[in-house]
Amino acid sequence: MKLKIVKDTLIITSLKAFPDLKRQPLMLFLVGLISSLPLYFITVFGGNFGLGLIGAMISAVSFIGMSAAIQDMAFDKYVKIREMIIAMPVHPMSYALGVALAPLILSTPSLVFFGVVALLVGGLTPASLLWAAIAVVLCWACISSVGFLISTYLQKASTYTLNSMSNILGIMLGFLPPVYYGEEVLGSFSWIAAIFPTSNAASLIRVYSGSLTLPSEVFAARWAILITTTIVCTVITAAKSRWREP
Amino acid sequence: MKEAIEATNLVKIYHGKETVEALRSVNISIKKGELFTLLGPNGAGKTTFLRIISTQLMPTNGKVSVLGYDVETEADEVRRHIAVVPQDVATYANYTPWEYSYYFTMLRGVSKPQARSASERALKAVELWALKDRTCATLSGGEKKRAIIAAALASDADIFMLDEPTSGLDAVARRSVWAVLREMVEKGKTILLTTHIMEEAEMVSDRLAIIHKGSVIANGTPEQIKGLAKERFRVVVEGDLKALGLAVNGNHVAKFGSKSIIYVKDEDEAIDLVGRSLKNGLKAETAAVTLEDVFVKLVGGGVD
Repeated sequence: MKLKIVKDTLIITSLKAFPDLKRQPLMLFLVGLISSLPLYFITVFGGNFGLGLIGAMISAVSFIGMSAAIQDMAFDKYVKIREMIIAMPVHPMSYALGVALAPLILSTPSLVFFGVVALLVGGLTPASLLWAAIAVVLCWACISSVGFLISTYLQKASTYTLNSMSNILGIMLGFLPPVYYGEEVLGSFSWIAAIFPTSNAASLIRVYSGSLTLPSEVFAARWAILITTTIVCTVITAAKSRWREP
Repeated sequence: MKEAIEATNLVKIYHGKETVEALRSVNISIKKGELFTLLGPNGAGKTTFLRIISTQLMPTNGKVSVLGYDVETEADEVRRHIAVVPQDVATYANYTPWEYSYYFTMLRGVSKPQARSASERALKAVELWALKDRTCATLSGGEKKRAIIAAALASDADIFMLDEPTSGLDAVARRSVWAVLREMVEKGKTILLTTHIMEEAEMVSDRLAIIHKGSVIANGTPEQIKGLAKERFRVVVEGDLKALGLAVNGNHVAKFGSKSIIYVKDEDEAIDLVGRSLKNGLKAETAAVTLEDVFVKLVGGGVD
């Protein structure tokens, strides 16, 4: 049973990622382009390029993670893929994980590119690479779980509403909080960075790369917030969402 | 066990701003290896019934089993034996018919070679093999629909549930789907079909039920259903019946502009009416009543 859940997750991931990747390879560039757009302004206006690269890595997974959880679910309802899968021997967890994992495949080339550049120009240290990867994955999991939570509560919203909402949230989470810039800019309001999974993950990566210092208890709390938000959203989604309609 | 699907006193109530009783104590029994059609106007409860049977929706009351498995408590078992084509199903533009069939068959837990051969068989059966690598964006409406049917067909499930699979298709595409459905039945599969297309119900069904406002109002073979009407023949006359002095002896008449359909009890009466119409210079022809005639009469509309 557990093996089938894993296998089905991979099949749904392939179904959701590979046909698009095969026929719309420009999507890969689009993900990278959207994420790297702020880097242009950072370079032109003399900002910290290293911070910008960490921001690009975070937004590469957050923007697309949010749209997958909301837009894909809405679109699947529209094309009835979800209805067909519900009536099959497939576990709901396989479907949710498959939907969430597919965009990660689309983000991976951008992630690798930004990661390598960050290593080369000093935004990341080799020692911080593993922690950066963990923070990025957790950020993706957290954003996806928030997206699933939203799509669960807005089941009756139209596809258009959900599309707009996912874009707004993607921009809000990826570009407004201190993701591309340091949380120090916010002064006494730097705690805001902890609220958003994106800025929280960015700050954690910066701590590992040595460009930000946080007291050890704050640092531990930041990890806890990221993990707890993911778990809480996942649990609420699991409790509230219905694979089969009541 | 001969029954593939059995619904007993099935009730579904939707609670929202308004409470809607979508199914009212529905009793339907579908035998293994038959093509059973649920025929009804829009909003009659056909899709609700199919969604409950296919484990997508919980019933409010009553008992439903598929191959002896309870749809409420043994949904996982039910899902192993069914394949569904939902209503108004759209295709994902970037998928090819092959990808639809292959990935959906893989989700059944079969091996890659098995999924490949099942997909090949299914796509050949719906005559899409030549187009298997074209994206759905480039296919016609009928081809897209057949791609989805192939994805269901490749599962080799015991029971296929198709919710208005031919709606929106042209006559040629519709007939090719009918042929596929009948072939599946000949191979021993059970099919539950919903439709509001009378000709479809009449042509492909072994048995059918007419569902109206959540209740089954007729159940039987197409011939048995047609036998429910008192009138066995219809005469179509073109022209003003009253102005030309044509007496219709109190028979039921349905008027559509200059054309009228007059329902009569026997063939002699029909032939007599055609003769009199022709004598009065009217165009007229007769035929046996259709399922549509009986359906309209049963659901209470269109007949004066």
